[in-house]
Amino acid sequence: MLADQSLVLKAPRYTFGYGKKMVEETVALKSNQQIGKNIWLMEFRSTLLASHAKPGQFLMVHLGERTKDPLLRRPFSIHGIQEGDKVMILYNVVGAGTSLLSSLKEHDIISVIGPLGNGFALPRPSERAILVGGGIGLAPLFFLAQVLQKDQRNTVTLFLGFSTSQEVVRIQQLEELGVNLSLTTEDGSLGFKGIVTDLLDQRLSNKGPIKSVIYACGPPQMLKKVAQKATTLSLRSYVSLEGYMACGLGICLGCAVKAAHGETKPYYYVCQDGPVFPSGMIDWEVL
Amino acid sequence: MAVLPDLSVDIGDLKLKNPVITASGTFGYGTELTPFFDPSLLGAIIVKGLSLRPMPGNPPPRIAETPCGLLNAIGLANIGIQAFIEEKLPVLTKIEAPVITNIYGHTVKEYADLAKKIEKVEGIAAIEINISCPNVEKGGIAFGTDPDTAAAVTERVVNNTTKPVIVKLAPNVTDITTIATAVESVGAKAISVTNTILGMAVDVTTRLPKLANIVGGLSGPAIKPIALYLVHKVVAAVTIPVIGLGGIMDYRDALEFLLVGARAIQVGTANFVNPKTAIEIVHGLTDFCSREKVSNINQIIGGLKTM
Repeated sequence: MLADQSLVLKAPRYTFGYGKKMVEETVALKSNQQIGKNIWLMEFRSTLLASHAKPGQFLMVHLGERTKDPLLRRPFSIHGIQEGDKVMILYNVVGAGTSLLSSLKEHDIISVIGPLGNGFALPRPSERAILVGGGIGLAPLFFLAQVLQKDQRNTVTLFLGFSTSQEVVRIQQLEELGVNLSLTTEDGSLGFKGIVTDLLDQRLSNKGPIKSVIYACGPPQMLKKVAQKATTLSLRSYVSLEGYMACGLGICLGCAVKAAHGETKPYYYVCQDGPVFPSGMIDWEVL
Repeated sequence: MAVLPDLSVDIGDLKLKNPVITASGTFGYGTELTPFFDPSLLGAIIVKGLSLRPMPGNPPPRIAETPCGLLNAIGLANIGIQAFIEEKLPVLTKIEAPVITNIYGHTVKEYADLAKKIEKVEGIAAIEINISCPNVEKGGIAFGTDPDTAAAVTERVVNNTTKPVIVKLAPNVTDITTIATAVESVGAKAISVTNTILGMAVDVTTRLPKLANIVGGLSGPAIKPIALYLVHKVVAAVTIPVIGLGGIMDYRDALEFLLVGARAIQVGTANFVNPKTAIEIVHGLTDFCSREKVSNINQIIGGLKTM
């Protein structure tokens, strides 16, 4: 007992290192439900996370009671904040980790570290925000749309692409936010038939009278096209990237992405330098 | 009033307040995890492996998870010794725990040059040598797989520093004890056992290796029994202290290594999963000793019983 008291964790005396606000918290799930084909929505309450989080930032989630298999935390972007302290994660069940995550029920416990990384740089007043999402890439864009719609300083246009209508989720909530929404499905089962960047090409054929900023999250091929489009039209664009990472804290150096030619570093790290990057920073040839 | 158990251990001349050390490559340059706990409370910290010049690291994917394990081929990405001394060391010296630098080179001379550079600066308590890297002068065969080469590297570092030299052994060898005794004979003050174990993983859909480098080093709980065995063997073969590591996730894992004879332990992959692991192990060991009425941790070290 005495041993415990003598070793009570002192607050670090150092202000160097990561000056950013982040917490490690154990939280009980409020809900965890399937809302589309392989797509789940998880919710929990955390005042600390909710008050510090910015759109585009992510969380490292440990699945359950410190299991050794799966061993590592999984990174998830923050899908949105509701009712002040309710944090949402929208995720695709793709492997053993997310499969285990999807089996958790209300009141089950997870450990969360966050908010991590750099979020989206918000548009300047009167700029038009064009959000482009592919599949689960919708996850961080919803949070961005929430914040932009709350501020009411920018027009928000959202292009979302899915393979099929069964994957289309969160549409009602997006409509409630009041964004201009366009949908595409590759099989044509809902909205425009084709891929989202084709629709973007049609609708954004020239620079237009209002200055726009593009925000994108989705598969690498989609992001590459968005980056090219932004370059062609001389628009600012920000992409949210994924990377295999063990820690999310800048120490494992697993989540390297090749920096564009002329950048000061050979690689950027998704967790630390991203996950949101100005698209010009990335070498799209090798992503 | 209960007396606190004494957790302090000696690694040669190096006095540690407890046997818990952070492993190279899993604790950044020492300050990244300060939002989670105060590194001054640890026995020592070993910073990211440093080379003579900055290294970009391997192309991605650099990591893959395997059952209870982590495969990595980071490629020893680091800022280089000069930038470390100029940018990282000044803040690191504020930490009230010994700072150990981990070094690696591609030639024996590079190791010697690194030792010379470190010798000139204050605030570094010891040098840990990574001998798992390819030796470009010997066709890329790792320094650590041959007793003579391992001894040659160690000797050159020892001759160029007054700081204690710790050699971190590679596990992919026929008989680790021959390497251990070879480095001991040329002046190593301690031995860290073990570095990651070479491994692979394949994506059967794409038929591609899961690492761009094809091969990587396996760490995490999956390798703990192997690491424990290697520590057991090396402890029996040398008289210098052995520092145990490989898959330590909590204080019970740490105790296993101490019982087998490790004088101290390193926490590696666990830092990625739970950044507070190292400090939780310090607490866990303190509580365990109090509970078991062990007044000094040295009473546990090497205390493995026989059936």
